Amino acid sequence: MGTIVSAANVSKDYKLGKTEVRALRGVSLDVHRGEFLAIAGPSGSGKTTLLNLIGCVDTPTSGTVNIDGRDTRSLSERALTDLRLHKIGFIFQTFNLVPVLTLYQNVEFPLLLQGGLGRAERRKRIEGLLEAVGLLDHARHRPSELSGGQRQRVAVARALVTRPPLVLADEPTANLDSLTGSNVIDLMREMNRRKGTTFVFSTHDPKVMSHASAVVRIADGLIVGREELNDIVAASGT
Amino acid sequence: MLLTDLQIAARNLVNHTRRNAILAAAVATVTALLVVLGGVTAGIRAAMFESATALLTGHVNVGGFFKITSGSGAALVSDFEKVLADARRVVPEIRFAVVRGRGYAKAISETQSVDQVLFGIDVRSEPVFREVVHLSAGRLDDLSQPGTVLLFEEQARQLGVHVGDALTLSAPTTRGVSNTVDVRVVAIASNVGILSSGTAFLPSETLRQLYQLKRSTTGAIMLYLEDPAAARRVAARLRGALASAGWRVMDADPRPYWEKLAGVKSEDWVGQKLDVTTWEDELSWLMWILKALQGLAGLLIGVLTVIVIVGILNTLAIAIRERTQEIGTLRAIGMQRTRVLWLFLLEAALLGTTGTIAGALAGAGISGLLNVAGIPMPEAAQTILMQRYLTLSVSFGTAAGSAAVIAAVTTFAALYPAWYAARLLPVTAMHHVG
Repeated sequence: MGTIVSAANVSKDYKLGKTEVRALRGVSLDVHRGEFLAIAGPSGSGKTTLLNLIGCVDTPTSGTVNIDGRDTRSLSERALTDLRLHKIGFIFQTFNLVPVLTLYQNVEFPLLLQGGLGRAERRKRIEGLLEAVGLLDHARHRPSELSGGQRQRVAVARALVTRPPLVLADEPTANLDSLTGSNVIDLMREMNRRKGTTFVFSTHDPKVMSHASAVVRIADGLIVGREELNDIVAASGT
Repeated sequence: MLLTDLQIAARNLVNHTRRNAILAAAVATVTALLVVLGGVTAGIRAAMFESATALLTGHVNVGGFFKITSGSGAALVSDFEKVLADARRVVPEIRFAVVRGRGYAKAISETQSVDQVLFGIDVRSEPVFREVVHLSAGRLDDLSQPGTVLLFEEQARQLGVHVGDALTLSAPTTRGVSNTVDVRVVAIASNVGILSSGTAFLPSETLRQLYQLKRSTTGAIMLYLEDPAAARRVAARLRGALASAGWRVMDADPRPYWEKLAGVKSEDWVGQKLDVTTWEDELSWLMWILKALQGLAGLLIGVLTVIVIVGILNTLAIAIRERTQEIGTLRAIGMQRTRVLWLFLLEAALLGTTGTIAGALAGAGISGLLNVAGIPMPEAAQTILMQRYLTLSVSFGTAAGSAAVIAAVTTFAALYPAWYAARLLPVTAMHHVG
């Protein structure tokens, strides 16, 4: 089982006005293919910063981040965008769907950015995912016509539609009630099991953590522990 | 992908209907104004072309100067029939040609005298002249009789004459001797703006008699082409061909013949030189009217365009602020910067195109309505604009051109905000709170 993410001695400093904030202080983390990894910690501990660095939407002040064997420091802005498009799916706390597009179009969008797939192939893939998240009947609706839980399920479908090896989710249940949040995590877990997609998500909710295969605990910009919660690893597709 | 981009752009525009509708209306107004003002200018130009090419000039003219001594000079073409034959040979595009005498005399009535520019014409061989000159008294055919004259209303009023009254024309001949002829007013025509303010027409033979010229001499040969737009090209060709045929031909000089006369008189040569001009050359003294109108229109359009550009900048700045998180999301999921730039440019282009199409249609409609309404021009304006009724000339090409220009300006104005949006870092944009 190889590593899909390898972060070594990563630090990230921000300037907040005149104050310099050290969000991460020499963090090292390996994420194995097929893991369903939770990054847990209180607000301000550096969870989102770590996900941003893994997701190549931000660059470390020092240290290295390797995604699928590629050192992100050596990549241009254009290549990083390409890497995100082809290798990483994103699920956001606030869903972040394009409000003027239908659910179908939102899910289709990353495929259109990638190009290469014909209309029929796209349709098959999108409808399959919308069915999997239980929203095929709402395909022509716009995000504003859906509940928060439904929107997050669409976000899951959008993150998976390009079949990326890695999906990052920043507090995906934070804006959902506990039942809906649990459903979304179940859906992500099922996708992890069925397709072998690696999921890395941040949370500070113990219930959500209980679904993870492993939990990495972070506090004050440092990884303070890693717990393997169970032996279920989906890389084999079991 | 283009369809999706268009949908995103269109729906984002519709989502903020009021804001974008106001901006589209501003774009439409500027476009409509551009179309209407363009129509006014084109209408004046068309009226000027129509009147002037009937009264003063052909599309292409072969005029010239004859100098008996180096210190004298007159606007004459000797052996004009040979010149005309040469011209016909090298210009197959000639629809018809007319021969006009040119002169300048004092017209003296029983009570008044005024200076007149004279044209000697053969009224029976002047097809366009009849279409443009509208008589208020007398008969045009009577102008074929020797010793007659056609005046315009303003001159007739100044001289205090009516049809049937006599005038004396007095002018120096080419030999410097004063000569006079008596003429009878046989027709009085409605004024044709500034073109008719000091112009009178009399039979060619009578003009020759005044100047004591031979029958083989005239003032200018006016050539009317199948395509008037080809005048400059034809003039250049004709200039070369006449020179090759052995005529002495003056260099191209875009001024009317009477502006050149003083200079010619001081030149050290004698005999005949031909001068080939276009209608635009002969009317260059009038082009200030068009230029002034175009300048005023340009100033007005410029100010309004600046307002539209500020509107576009402001609207897109608001849109980008509102959609910063969306931009960050799109960048995060793999949209390249160039595509973000494209999306915002597309939005501006869509807004601009919608506004300009509406504006161009409105402008064309308003122009049509103004033409149908037949708004009479004030007398002072008639002199300058050469129109009795306000007439706008709007072609599809002009309207489409105006729309394209304004649409391009609105899109161009979006470049900076679109570039700004494209430069947003995904991490900053995603965590932006609108």
